[in-house]
Amino acid sequence: MARAHPSIRWRIDPATGSFRPWATSPLDSTAVDIQLMVALVIALALFFDFTNGFHDTANAMATPIATGALKPRVAVAIAAVLNLVGAFLSTAVAQTISGGLIREGQDGVHVGPELIFAGLIGAIVWNMITWLFGLPSSSSHALFGGLIGAAIVGVGFNAIDPGVLMSKIVLPALLAPVIAGGVSFIITKLAYRLTPPGSRHGFKVGQIFTSSLVSLAHGTNDAQKTMGVITLTLIAAGFQEAGSGPEFWVIAICAVAIALGTYMGGWRIIRTIGTGITAVKPIQGFSAEVSTAASILASTHLGFALSTTQVSSGSVIGVGLGKDRHSVNWRTAGRIAMGWLITLPAAAIMAALAALVANIGLVGIIIDALVGVGVIVAIFVRSRRSKVSHESFSPPINVSSSSHEPLMGAVESVVLPKAARSLIKKNSKAAKTR
Amino acid sequence: MIDWLAFITVAAVALLSSVIVVGFYALGLRLLGPGENTTTPARRTGAVACFAVCGLAVLYGIYLIVPALH
Repeated sequence: MARAHPSIRWRIDPATGSFRPWATSPLDSTAVDIQLMVALVIALALFFDFTNGFHDTANAMATPIATGALKPRVAVAIAAVLNLVGAFLSTAVAQTISGGLIREGQDGVHVGPELIFAGLIGAIVWNMITWLFGLPSSSSHALFGGLIGAAIVGVGFNAIDPGVLMSKIVLPALLAPVIAGGVSFIITKLAYRLTPPGSRHGFKVGQIFTSSLVSLAHGTNDAQKTMGVITLTLIAAGFQEAGSGPEFWVIAICAVAIALGTYMGGWRIIRTIGTGITAVKPIQGFSAEVSTAASILASTHLGFALSTTQVSSGSVIGVGLGKDRHSVNWRTAGRIAMGWLITLPAAAIMAALAALVANIGLVGIIIDALVGVGVIVAIFVRSRRSKVSHESFSPPINVSSSSHEPLMGAVESVVLPKAARSLIKKNSKAAKTR
Repeated sequence: MIDWLAFITVAAVALLSSVIVVGFYALGLRLLGPGENTTTPARRTGAVACFAVCGLAVLYGIYLIVPALH
């Protein structure tokens, strides 16, 4: 098999017509088996897809679980099936994973498998950390951040298009909560105005449909990013023709990975969105889901892509404000906003570190993989520890027990957000002292 | 380049479609009343029509999501 990227290759720059060397990553001169690299990247990409799944279950299912419109297990099962189906429905997004953010492809930099590997490590570790703290951060931002960080180390700052970074990441991140929150604020007011108090329980039935719609819209978007990563890697390694779409087996494994992740539930994030921001009533849950679905569909079809995660959190803040501005827990909302702001740089820094280590060669890759697995296991072990302690505060979200009663009790209790806060404070303190 | 027009379009379309869905659903619930026996056949028909509008909106959403349909 021919080497996909020898240490230096010259090509004609389409813009200037002059010869220019390929920007190659330092690893090209060392002898890391390309097949091993591709296998590693695919494994990591699938694990990222899995984290993406449980990170984003909350986007569609936090509010129906919080209002008791759907039982927790039923909600995550519906979300998992719709994510599985959604992944097969559309592969348009998979063509360019970073949406032009990294100047990839023919007229750009060469992002080799080892850089994608480092980028995925950064994205996965950040997804795990935010999950531990119950923060609904954007998985796409984590992925973009990871790839950016790795590309900067491997290629340099010219790998990044700052204009695209601004228009596709920073600005949508600021505008998503404004659009979704504004819309849900207005429709919550409208819904309260139109319905007498006795008629509002009917919104629960509607929630089943609206949350499913959000779930399906999510499914057609997110698995595609992983398909894009794997396809890009296969192309970079020379296993697949440049410019071709994802192979069927890639679509299938990505769909299964995100569906499994979705079924895991990501209960910490569900708790934050469903009960941490405001005590969601069915009328608010319905409004939030309609606002989320409408904002996502409008943005994907009118060319101003917004993050599902940010839209759904913004919607919940909006429905809280629409009922009573004192019903919004601004500390939780502030923590979520902080999470949005630091997701991209944090994932980028971790991926950059991973890329620096990967530059050593095969040893670096092995160190990266071991450290990555170690961090994931450590976070999982830590999550088990705090899971035991918060079960006593929020039995309704206790998925390991056999009873799956609706979360009405949890929503009604004022204790929960406080308990959750103290838990998170305790966690961060413990993390600092480590 | 920031496409402010696209942003405003997205916000307007999201708002309009949300107002339609939530407005008709709420109207349908209002017509149904709090219990089974508190409504007349005319109100019931009106409520069904309202829910049908919401159903069509959800179907249109599915149509938008699935590229094979358009």
